[in-house]
Amino acid sequence: MVSTELLSQSIINGLLLGGIYVTVGVGFALVFGVLEIIDFAVGEYVMLGAFTGAIVAPMVGGEGLLVVPLAFVAFFLVGVVIQPFIHHVTTGDRPMPLLMGLVFTFGLATFMRGSILTIFGPNTRNVPTNALSGGIEIGGLGTFPEVRVVTAVVGVLSLVAFMYYLYRTTGGTAIRAIAEDRDIARLMGVNINRYQSIAYGVYAGLTATGGVFIGLIYSAGPGMGLQYTAFAFFMIVLAGLGYLPGIIISGIVLGLAQSLTAVYLGGELVFFVLFGMIYVLLLVRPEGLLGKGEVA
Amino acid sequence: MSETLLQTDGLTKRFGALTANDEITLGVDRGEIRGLIGPNGSGKTTFFNSLTGFYTPDEGTVTFDGTDITGWESHRIAREGVGRTFQIAAPFGNMTVRQNMLAVQTPKSVDEHERAQEILEFLDIDHIADDDASGMSGGQKKLLGLGRVLMLDPECILLDEPTAGVNPALADRILEHLRELNDRGTTFMIIEHDMDVLKQIVDTVSVLDQGRHIVQGTFEEVSTDDRVREAYLGSADDDEVPV
Amino acid sequence: MGTENDLTVRDRFQALLGRDDAHLWLFGIGAVVLAVLPFALSTFWTRIALGALMWIGLAQSWNMIGGYAGYLDFGHGAYFGVGAFVTGIVMVELELPFVAGLLIAGVFCAVLAYVVGVPTLRLSGAYFAIATWAFAEAIKELALILEITGGTYGMTFPTGPGTSGIPLVGWPDEMFFYYLMMVLTLGTIALAYFLFEHSEFGFRVKAIRDHEDAAQSLGIDATKIKRRVYVISCVIAALFGGANAYYITFIHPNDVLAPIITDQMIIMALLGGLGTIGGPIIGGVLIFLLNRLSSLFLGNTTIYLPLIGLLIMVTVLFAPSGVIGILRGEVGREDVKQNLRELAEKFDIL
Repeated sequence: MVSTELLSQSIINGLLLGGIYVTVGVGFALVFGVLEIIDFAVGEYVMLGAFTGAIVAPMVGGEGLLVVPLAFVAFFLVGVVIQPFIHHVTTGDRPMPLLMGLVFTFGLATFMRGSILTIFGPNTRNVPTNALSGGIEIGGLGTFPEVRVVTAVVGVLSLVAFMYYLYRTTGGTAIRAIAEDRDIARLMGVNINRYQSIAYGVYAGLTATGGVFIGLIYSAGPGMGLQYTAFAFFMIVLAGLGYLPGIIISGIVLGLAQSLTAVYLGGELVFFVLFGMIYVLLLVRPEGLLGKGEVA
Repeated sequence: MSETLLQTDGLTKRFGALTANDEITLGVDRGEIRGLIGPNGSGKTTFFNSLTGFYTPDEGTVTFDGTDITGWESHRIAREGVGRTFQIAAPFGNMTVRQNMLAVQTPKSVDEHERAQEILEFLDIDHIADDDASGMSGGQKKLLGLGRVLMLDPECILLDEPTAGVNPALADRILEHLRELNDRGTTFMIIEHDMDVLKQIVDTVSVLDQGRHIVQGTFEEVSTDDRVREAYLGSADDDEVPV
Repeated sequence: MGTENDLTVRDRFQALLGRDDAHLWLFGIGAVVLAVLPFALSTFWTRIALGALMWIGLAQSWNMIGGYAGYLDFGHGAYFGVGAFVTGIVMVELELPFVAGLLIAGVFCAVLAYVVGVPTLRLSGAYFAIATWAFAEAIKELALILEITGGTYGMTFPTGPGTSGIPLVGWPDEMFFYYLMMVLTLGTIALAYFLFEHSEFGFRVKAIRDHEDAAQSLGIDATKIKRRVYVISCVIAALFGGANAYYITFIHPNDVLAPIITDQMIIMALLGGLGTIGGPIIGGVLIFLLNRLSSLFLGNTTIYLPLIGLLIMVTVLFAPSGVIGILRGEVGREDVKQNLRELAEKFDIL
């Protein structure tokens, strides 16, 4: 039956998308835990990643995949340098530190978006790839674009690597200790500055990497960031702020919801429903639907 | 004649698996000064928070002057006549000392300006009434914290470490003020770590340990009680043993 | 402070700021200057002044909830847009004059802000910020979908004599809109002054911002007071939204509900000085001029975005109390140096 096929295709597409959203979401949730700050720039890292793909790929033989490791390293370094600023404005004896932190990342987001818009103009660009132009047949369910399948695989792999780092290495343990209680971590001799920077760097790198793939699937545009900021907010609100395992589920839910609403409801309602859900979820269950997030 | 002003009955507050207040039954008589002691983490501040509406108790009741105030919002409890101060005495910023006093929500019938002036004079801080409150010394901030509560004209005041971090001379002055207020009929319950301070001022002492109300009595009775010694020695804070 | 003779400009400024009668004089002189200003200006500069006035008012309205009450409203612009659309709907669909549209928009947004405020103000900090942000984005998407707002086509306002509903006003021209904005803005400033600087209400609002628990324990009903501040500030934004819409005659969700509207209000209040009367005035003028002049002289409208982003970051980093803070002497050279030293310490990451 045609409709069953459409449904199963939409579901698989949704799962494939969810894989990449999870990589954006976990970093974001980690940064909330470690820095206790909501980073309004999250979507702009996606945008910057996608743009890096669009600009750099033609220089490396028109292969967007080659940009991926570069994007991770480059934005890891960017993140490492940006983190001390955010840390600085949210600590010390300045008035309303939380407000200052939020407004700072808000300014950062505006700066990133505005810079790209000013330098490259408002047009969207493609992220070219030769390696991933075909399709993959999945067990009688239909043919799916290679780029989506690879994206999902990379998403899952980076998630595994990320979780391994966080739970099986000294650095990861230090980061989790900071997320638990910054002061106690300090007393235990953890170099707060260092591991916060690493955490923020990993987050920026992961998010930008996700951006390259999102650029491969869709395209790169200076205004695309806002949507992914909303996606990130949606994921952590659904999972419960700062609750990492919940992100995996909420990322997949997001991918499915996006794929299914686009097919069955029509595009124009998607964002209204998405923003509406973030708002309503926060009001009814600020601790998250999926687990015990911390409520400020 | 003693008459109970503030009474808790089986008051319980849990945070997940931790029971911070475990069926605390405790009555404070009208006109007395009650000390509330216990090792760190024994639930003293939680008890204040449960009493004044910042936490909703899981079980038990709070009765004030014959009225059941369990689960009331904190501002209503304050207006009912239960004032409190916080451990950290932070004045409201960008405001003068007087404006800090005027921020308090007094009944409409009260002339707030007149009352603020009277209280500032009583506490001897009227000379800095129109200075920026954030420039005050630590002790003056404690006095302002007390002054703000007095704007409510409360029958009962809960004080969380009123002299902590204050130089001895000013601490004596604060105690003097408390005694004078007590003579005029105000009832107090005071969390205080400094036993020397406590000894000077309290009528009776209640001891909390691990969320439970274990002993109540005069300072002498409590300080020689084996259960109290055990509560303190059992904890890490050896330096806080009474006497 | 020294003797009378060696008072610095800053000292004089501080002394002036501290005097109530000086505030009244300042307000009076400002009002008179503004009233005669358009006679001295060309139409072009009258338009600039008009825009600056509107942004001062909008920044002040954000400052009420964000600066005085300390609740980070990242969706304040929603009310600017809703005010615009309600005014338009009343004028287009009900064929009522502008004045009626503006009044109805004000009342509608008061009700909306009350209804939204009850659940939303229970959240605090980052939660409140995200919730209001999502609310505003949802409103924008809704306006793009609905038919009554014109959806993606936008909405055109009736123009010409008689549409204003104000006696003696013929064709609403620049002068009309200038004085309209002037009245709204001066009204907003006066309201903010008496509400937040000169009444117990204002002291209570600041008390909630600084220490909500302590405020509650002093009998202050924080919920009620926050809601009042929220409703007042939202209604003001709505009135400016309606007035601006009638002025520009065509509105589109992507313009009047754009997130940049909120961004600008926040950065204006922040740059000038949060929780002060003068802050939004100074910030509003500076940022609005930056906006206009950057497009005028650089011929590029988007360069304004990275500039504003950079300005937000620098302000937060080095002058969190804004220009007013600098004038009050809170941000001296030493403070900046200290700030840089502390920042440098956080770069100790190896």
